[in-house]
Amino acid sequence: MIARTTVSERSWRPLGSGPSRRSRWLRSTLSNMGLLILCTTFLWGIPADAAPEPLRIVFIAYQNPNQLVEDVRPVVAYLEERLQRKVEYFTATDYAAVVEALRNETADVGFMGPLQYLLAHEHAGARPILGEIYNGSSTYHSRIFVRKDSGIRNLKDLKGKNFAFVDPISSSGYLYPLEIFVEAGLIENRDQTDRFFRRNYFAGGDEQAIRAVLNGFVDAAGIGQYSFSLLRGEERDQVISIADSKPIPSHCVVVRKGLEGAAANSLRDSLLALNEGENRPLLKYLYNVDGYVEVDHQTFAGTEELARKHGFLPALEPSPSEEPASKLDSSGQRK
Amino acid sequence: MPLSQHKLDPVTKQSPRSSRGGLGALLISALLVSVLVLLDLPLNAHIVPPEDLHPAAESYRRLNFLLNLRPVPWLEVGRDLKVIDGALAQVVEQKGKVTGLTVPEVNGLDLDSETAWLLEPQESQQAEGREVPGIREQQLLAQRTFEIATRKVSRALVLELETAAASISDHSTALGHLETARQLWAAFEPTLRSTDRAGFQEAGRHWLEMTSALGSPGILGIGATPPKQQEFEHNARRLGEYLNANFGASFQAPSGTLAPLPAHSPTFDRDAALPAILPPGAEINKQLPRPRQILNMSERGVDERQTPLIALGDMAFDSPMIFGEPARALGLSCNSCHNKSITNPKFFLPGLSSREGGLDVSNSFFAPHANNGHFDPVDIPDLRGLRFTAPYGRNGRFESLREFTRNVIVNEFNGAEPDPVLLDGLVAYMMEFDFLPNPALRPDGRLHTGASESTRRGEEIFYRPFEQMADRSCATCHVPSDHFLDRKRHDIGSVVGAAESSRDGAMDTPTLLSSRHTAPYFHDGSLPTLRSVTDWFNERYDLGLSEVDLGDLTAYLEVIGDGVDPYEDTLHTLESELEEFDFFLSAYEFLASRGKSDLIDTTLVTIAFEIRAHKWDVQDARLLPVLDRLAELMDEAYEANHQGESEMVADRIAEYRRLYQENVEVLR
Repeated sequence: MIARTTVSERSWRPLGSGPSRRSRWLRSTLSNMGLLILCTTFLWGIPADAAPEPLRIVFIAYQNPNQLVEDVRPVVAYLEERLQRKVEYFTATDYAAVVEALRNETADVGFMGPLQYLLAHEHAGARPILGEIYNGSSTYHSRIFVRKDSGIRNLKDLKGKNFAFVDPISSSGYLYPLEIFVEAGLIENRDQTDRFFRRNYFAGGDEQAIRAVLNGFVDAAGIGQYSFSLLRGEERDQVISIADSKPIPSHCVVVRKGLEGAAANSLRDSLLALNEGENRPLLKYLYNVDGYVEVDHQTFAGTEELARKHGFLPALEPSPSEEPASKLDSSGQRK
Repeated sequence: MPLSQHKLDPVTKQSPRSSRGGLGALLISALLVSVLVLLDLPLNAHIVPPEDLHPAAESYRRLNFLLNLRPVPWLEVGRDLKVIDGALAQVVEQKGKVTGLTVPEVNGLDLDSETAWLLEPQESQQAEGREVPGIREQQLLAQRTFEIATRKVSRALVLELETAAASISDHSTALGHLETARQLWAAFEPTLRSTDRAGFQEAGRHWLEMTSALGSPGILGIGATPPKQQEFEHNARRLGEYLNANFGASFQAPSGTLAPLPAHSPTFDRDAALPAILPPGAEINKQLPRPRQILNMSERGVDERQTPLIALGDMAFDSPMIFGEPARALGLSCNSCHNKSITNPKFFLPGLSSREGGLDVSNSFFAPHANNGHFDPVDIPDLRGLRFTAPYGRNGRFESLREFTRNVIVNEFNGAEPDPVLLDGLVAYMMEFDFLPNPALRPDGRLHTGASESTRRGEEIFYRPFEQMADRSCATCHVPSDHFLDRKRHDIGSVVGAAESSRDGAMDTPTLLSSRHTAPYFHDGSLPTLRSVTDWFNERYDLGLSEVDLGDLTAYLEVIGDGVDPYEDTLHTLESELEEFDFFLSAYEFLASRGKSDLIDTTLVTIAFEIRAHKWDVQDARLLPVLDRLAELMDEAYEANHQGESEMVADRIAEYRRLYQENVEVLR
C-alpha cells in the first residue's frame, strides 16, 4: 500500500533543484491519490538479450512527483550507462511508501532519513550504502527554537510551556529533540512530555513547526537545523535556538534485503563517482547534495540506540546475530 | 581527501561539526535553489523567493490587491475569481464524495450581472454597447466582488475542515483535506496577523491541535497513533465558527481599503494598520546575471571618497526611505527598477504591469493622489548615459532630470518633498551613468573599419531616407553623432489606445546605445527583440525591405547597441553591498558640515536597513554578529543624531568604519 505523504522530516533537505518551484497544494493533491509513479526507463546500448533484471529505484518526492520524474532522468541515464543495466524508477510521496516498497521488493533502492532507515532495516532487512553530504557535512543537528523576545533562554524555562515536535516518525523532528530534554534531565522518556510541557503538538512539517514558534502559537519547537532557512531574513532575526542535539547522520541511500552485493556495490561506486569529475552537476538532481560518503549500519549506531531507548525499535535481545528480517511474519510484524 | 575516500565513523564517535547554515529545505527557498542551480551559480545572491500558496489563496490575495486599484483591472480580477470558483467547486465535489451527501448551496456567493459583465473581455463589452462604469461605481462593484470572493474562500476552507473531520478514520485523506484547508487559510493570514493578533494565535493553535489529533499511521505500523476525533472536530468547529462569523454570508467589505477584516472577532483591532504587501506574482528581485554599471568617475579612476555628493545620491538611489508608503514599507527604491542604472527586465506587479520590465507609474497604489485614472504602463527605461538623453520620461514630459526625479519621489512613490541637497546628490549620481563602451563605433557614431559586410549594409539602410517616412531615415531621429537620439518626441504610431485627437502618441526618441541589453523595446515594451523592431517599421511604413535587408539592419542595430562586458562575473554579493554602504557613509562629513541632520538620518537608516536585508547572504554564519553590530551602530548613530549628540554620531560612525575595515576581508 502506498500511503499518502506525511510531512515527517522530509522538508529539511534542499529541494531537488528542478527548474520550477513546486507547490504544496499540488503535492497534497497528488498525495491524496496515493501516488506512486512508475516512470519510463532508459536503455542505452544494452543488448536486449543479455540485459540483467532492471534496477528499481524509488525516489522520495519532497515537492512535485511529476517534476522529480523529469529532474532525475539525467541521473537515471547516467546510472544505466555506468551499470550497463536498465533502471526503472518510481516516485513516492512519503517515507512509509519507500520503506513499504523496499519491504515488498517492488523497489531495490530508496532514499530516506536515519530513523526510517532503521525501521526499514529492522523490519525489512534493508541496508544503507551511502550517506548524503550537505554544506560539507554528513551530519546535521536538531535544535530547540524559541522566539528571541520570549525570555526563554534554557530548556528548564520550557516547563509548563507549549511545545511543537514535527512528526512522530522523525529523527530531527522528534527523536533527537526528545533526547535533548532527556539529556538535560528534564524528562526520562517520551511518555513524560505531557507532564513537562503544558501541551505538546506534532506540527506536521518543519515549516509549520518553526512558524508556530515565530507566530507565538507555541513557545518552542524541536526541529532540524535547516528549518531556520525556511524563514525569511527578517523573520530569522526573531527566532533563536537554545539547544542542539547530538549530530544526526544525514539521509541515506538504502538497498533492499537480498539485492545482490555486486549490484549494490556498482550503484554505490556510480553515485560516489559523482563527487568529482564531469558528472558532478548531476548531484543537483539528487536533492542537491554536495556529495556522498560510504556508510554502513554502524553509521547509524547512535540513532539506533536512541530509537531503541525511545521505543521505536525493540530493546536488543540476547542473540543480536540473528537476522532481523527473519523475525517478521508475512505482514511485516514482529513474531 | 576526495569525498569518495571518506568513510564515516559512527556518529556517536564524531565530534559535532559546525554547519555554515546555507540552504536547507526547502519549500520557501525552492525557487532560489532552482534558479541558481540552473544558472550554476553559488547560493549567495540576494533573491527573495515568493510565497508558496494554494492557487485559490494566491488568487484571493492578488484579487484583493487588484480590487483596490483604480481603475480596477477587471479582466485580471475575473481570472482570479475563476480560480477561486474552481477551488470551491472541487472542494464541494470532494466533500460530496467523502460524505456521500449533497453539499447544500448557500446564499451570497453569486455575482450580479453588472459585475459579471465587467469581467468579460473588452470586445464583448463593446459589442454590447455598454460603457465601463465610472470610478465611484467601480468602487461599489469592487466591494461586492470582494465580499463574494471572501465568502467563497472562507466557505471552501470550512468545507475542507468538515471533510477532513468526516474522513478522519482514513489518515491519508483527512491529512490531505487538512493541508488544503491550511493552505486556504493563507488567503487571510497577513491581514489577521496584523489586525487580530489574539484571534490569529488562537487559530494557529487550532491548526496544531487538529494536526496532532489526526494521529499517524507510522511506518510499517511503527509509531502509529490513533486519531482523536472529538478533539479534531472541536478545533475544526471553533475555527469554522471564527470564519463563518467574520467571512461568512454576512461578511461586508470595508468601505475603505478592501481587506478581509475580522470585524466580528472580539479581539479585532480596528486601529491596526494593514500590512503593506505585494500581490502574488509580483517580482521585485534584482535581475541575474548582474548587469555591469559604469560610472564615469570610476572609469576616470576617481577616489570615490572624494565625491560625497555622489555618495549621497548613490545612497538615495538605493533608499526606500526617500519614498512614502507603501513603497517604503515594501523596500522599493529607484534601484528596484533601475538596478545600478540598468533596467530590471523582470520587475512585475500584477495590475500595474502589462509585461515584465514595465510599470504604470501613475497608479492608485503607490501614490493615490497622483493617479491619472487609467492604465498606462511603460517599459522601465535603462538609465545608462542618462546625462545625454534628455528629455525624461517615455513621453519626454520633463526637460530637467532634477524635475523628473522630484516627480518620481513625490508623485509616483508618495515621498515627502525632497531636500534640495538630496536632489543634487541624486542628479550628480545619475549623471555618472555611462553607456557600455562599444569599440565598434567611432566617436561620430559610424562603424569602425572591420565591421562585417552585413552590418555595413545595415548601416546603409539605417541612413537611407524612405519616402514612406516623409523622406526621413532611421538616422534622422536616432542621430548617430549624437548618441543615436534627437531629443524630440515623435508619434510613429506605436501607441495603442491613445485618446483620439490627443497627442498621446508622441514619445521621446530613445537612444540605441547599449540597447542590445535593454530588451524589450518601445515605450511599452511591446516588442521583444531588435528584429521585431525592424519588422515593425517595415510593416508600419511599408518600407519594402527584404529578409536580407531586415537581417542586415538588425545586425547593425545589434552592433551599435552592444557593449563590452555587459554583465558582472559576480553576483549581488555581500561584500559589494558592504563596500557600497561604506561609500554611502562617506557623505556623512559633508552632510554634517551643511547641518543636514535629516539627510544624515536617511543615510543611517538606509544603511541599517540594507545591512539587515543582506546579512543572511553571509557565507560564514559566525560573522552574523559582526553584521548585527554594524546595523546596531547605525541605529545608535541615528538615535544620537535625533538627540542632537553630534559627537556620539561621529563616534558611532567611526566605530562602524573601524569594525568594517577589521572584517572587510572576511565579510563575504
